[in-house]
Amino acid sequence: MSATLQTTLPDTISGLLGLEGVLGDLVGGLVGAFIIANIMLITTAIAGPWAKRKITAAFGDRIAVNRIGPFGLLVIIPDAVRLMSKELIVPEGVDRPAWDLAPMVIPFSALLGFAVIPMGSGIQLADPETGLAFAFAAASIASLGLVMSGYASNNKFSLIGALRAVAANIAYEIPLVITAASVVIFTGSLRMSEIVAVQAEPLLTIAGVSIPTWFAFVNPFAFVLFIIANLAEVGRNPFDIPEAPTEIVAGYQTEYSSIYFVLIYLGEFIHIFLGGAIAATLFLGGPAGPFLPGFVWFVIKIWAFFLFTQWARSAVPRLRVDQFLEVGWKGMLVLSFANLVLTAIIVGVIA
Amino acid sequence: MSLEEQQPEAEIEAGKTRGDELAELLGDLVIGREEHLNAPGLVIRPDQVQDALFKLRDEAGFDHLSCVTAEEYEDRYESIYHLTKYDDRTDEVSVVVPTSKDDPVSQSAEPVFRTADWHEREAYDLVGIKYEGHPDLRRILLPETWQGHPLGLDYDQDRPQIATLREHANPLEQDHTGEQGNTMYINIGPHHPATHGVLHVETVVDGEQVVDLEPDIGYLHRCEEQMCQQGTYRHQIMPYPDRWDYISAGLLNEWAYARTAEDLADIEVPEYAQIIRTMSAELCRIASHMIALGTFALDVYGDFTAIFMYAMRDREIVQNILEDLTGQRMMFNYFRLGGVVWDLPEPREEFFEKIRDFLDDLPEALEEYHDMITSNEILQARTVGTGVLPPEVAKSYGATGPVARGSGIDYDLRRDDSYGYYDELDWDVVVEDGCDNFSRLLVRMREVEESAKIIQQCVDLLEDWPEDERNIQANVPRTLKPEEDTEIYRAVEGAKGELGIYIRADGTDKPGRFKIRSPCFSNLQTLPEMSEGEYIPDMIASLGSLDIVLGEVDR
Repeated sequence: MSATLQTTLPDTISGLLGLEGVLGDLVGGLVGAFIIANIMLITTAIAGPWAKRKITAAFGDRIAVNRIGPFGLLVIIPDAVRLMSKELIVPEGVDRPAWDLAPMVIPFSALLGFAVIPMGSGIQLADPETGLAFAFAAASIASLGLVMSGYASNNKFSLIGALRAVAANIAYEIPLVITAASVVIFTGSLRMSEIVAVQAEPLLTIAGVSIPTWFAFVNPFAFVLFIIANLAEVGRNPFDIPEAPTEIVAGYQTEYSSIYFVLIYLGEFIHIFLGGAIAATLFLGGPAGPFLPGFVWFVIKIWAFFLFTQWARSAVPRLRVDQFLEVGWKGMLVLSFANLVLTAIIVGVIA
Repeated sequence: MSLEEQQPEAEIEAGKTRGDELAELLGDLVIGREEHLNAPGLVIRPDQVQDALFKLRDEAGFDHLSCVTAEEYEDRYESIYHLTKYDDRTDEVSVVVPTSKDDPVSQSAEPVFRTADWHEREAYDLVGIKYEGHPDLRRILLPETWQGHPLGLDYDQDRPQIATLREHANPLEQDHTGEQGNTMYINIGPHHPATHGVLHVETVVDGEQVVDLEPDIGYLHRCEEQMCQQGTYRHQIMPYPDRWDYISAGLLNEWAYARTAEDLADIEVPEYAQIIRTMSAELCRIASHMIALGTFALDVYGDFTAIFMYAMRDREIVQNILEDLTGQRMMFNYFRLGGVVWDLPEPREEFFEKIRDFLDDLPEALEEYHDMITSNEILQARTVGTGVLPPEVAKSYGATGPVARGSGIDYDLRRDDSYGYYDELDWDVVVEDGCDNFSRLLVRMREVEESAKIIQQCVDLLEDWPEDERNIQANVPRTLKPEEDTEIYRAVEGAKGELGIYIRADGTDKPGRFKIRSPCFSNLQTLPEMSEGEYIPDMIASLGSLDIVLGEVDR
């Protein structure tokens, strides 16, 4: 199996630059991280100020941005300038270091998760043994950022939002990880590249078209569970409880303006894409796909997940906070454990 | 189609005997008699208000305190309790309570009717009558620091007023002063995404559950009553009603004034004009219910829901029709005393075609709403059984309109105290028994269908109306000067409920006292009853289902 592993991006870069040893690792790692971060930032820049508007507008029978550039695409630039040039209002009595750090922790944690995601075409920053665990761990750091922002804001809506965010993360992180564990039972490895490699094997062949062993096909139930838990993790309808604009104004981000607001928003979007990336890696064969290069397939898959979140947000009502937690603790948790046990038994019997 | 014509027996014949009957019932409590145009008036001593009201409520069945009007005369203060029945709207009585000039204290009606709470606070705030036994007699529309009572006779308008920020100081400090220690005080509004305007709900929460809440209103108070008192009956008052419930219900509001003033001055409205009024008013009702539907969806779904845009899209069609008719999109000013300002737009066929197109497409649109909203399981989980308002509570608070009908109270002024052309047409009053947020939503959606039925019939009638009988206005004198001391209280079914107006004529061409009974004002009062013990999201949903417009609450 290890023979099929691709070299990671930093190795490729240091190889191209002809650097070796510590210097090569350092330069390769930095340049690689820079590239990955920028890919994700560009994706988010398109998703945030442009795609989100266009998608929700399409659902709501509107047109949305269409003035600057083709399809209004260049609105991203004035929007970025507008958002960043706004006044940064620091409310009285905020807990300064925590309040300032929170907007950095949130996007940082999401970007960190991308370090182990295989994006296809040889783009993967690192491929440790514990890749999947690392991705979940990094994504979970965001909760810390949410609590910091909510608690430090000196605003009750922020506080309620932060409490809700923590409650949501605890309630839905467990089903998320448990469901992912059912995939690990199949692969026998947490290494991302191996999870992808296992899914490349053909499951069955119909009329000459071979269907790969994507776990979404092998275990659709787990896939649905994972997507739902993921939706709750990224806080989109019907689970956008932590923000719930009509109830608690904007939750933990109520007091943030200007660049801090941008950072938190950016973080949320990168989290959506990270959620999509983990789902793609675990269930949709990672960057695999016919005809097109792997990276393109990867982008298509994470955008599909993004589209799904936007669809849900436009069409599905929000649950009440107690119903939301009930779904998590009494529904998702039970189902995910049932799924794990069943998978273990089936895999055990087959093996 | 004036009222006298419709209910000759009920009103005129019974009027005398009814007054005598009620006076007999109250016995010694009655110290004098008055005759208002709409009802007999019984004068009661200020310290016996509760006795009289209890008797009228429990023994004569007057279970609806529609309005409380307070006013100051040269020699006395007066509070008028306009009582009527949910079962029989035409059976009315006015309980008149005079108090002396130097000590204007009157017994509170709050123990009898919960709705008197806010009404008496308003009377205290604007006129200056004090109510003994009132649980919480504070100003309601004006800031606590206001000096003087603006509708009192000796009010000095030029006196500088200072509204300090002290009362709105950072409420963080108040958190843990309570004895429970675990509660938190939050200000929901006046700037909050879901308060539908500048409403401030002072909320005490225990975790996420509402322990106590109190709507704080008055941010949009514009002295509408006083402005109307300064305008002449004939033309200068009509533009104001558009600004009470400004969410496209303008014509319904105009009708409230038109009906009251026409009955006061004894003006007959031509049939043709009544049909136009009925049709256009129902168009307004559809537009208004569409907004209610869309914003309720916003409150429950979140910010980026498609349903809000769909509701706006359909409302836009109605707005275009109304614009064709009145020349305005929101502030119509289309009704005149004695009729409407102009006839339907030419070419008439095109106008009718437009309305028919809208009516044809409406069932499909409603089907779409039902698919997306009422049949959605999450929405049902959110709204069924939340914001429960039992019928007795609703009655005690004087709730009307879709809020009352959603609580199973079969009460609609269009049928129960018919005006316009409603009693000639075939339509039904929509009632739902759920008493919760969901049934209020259903009532509005089904009422849209009923309104469409009414409009359809009106269009048919108007289309066949002979050309030489298109009489859009009665002959109304240039200057109206109703006789001094004629008093009248009349209401119509606005989009949000019973929109009533009390006018006392003082012999000039301007009203001596102009009082607006806003349905939203009474409906909003039920919010604490619906929300205490529930979660914040349900409180927001209940608020949305009440469908208040702050312009009408604060006036």
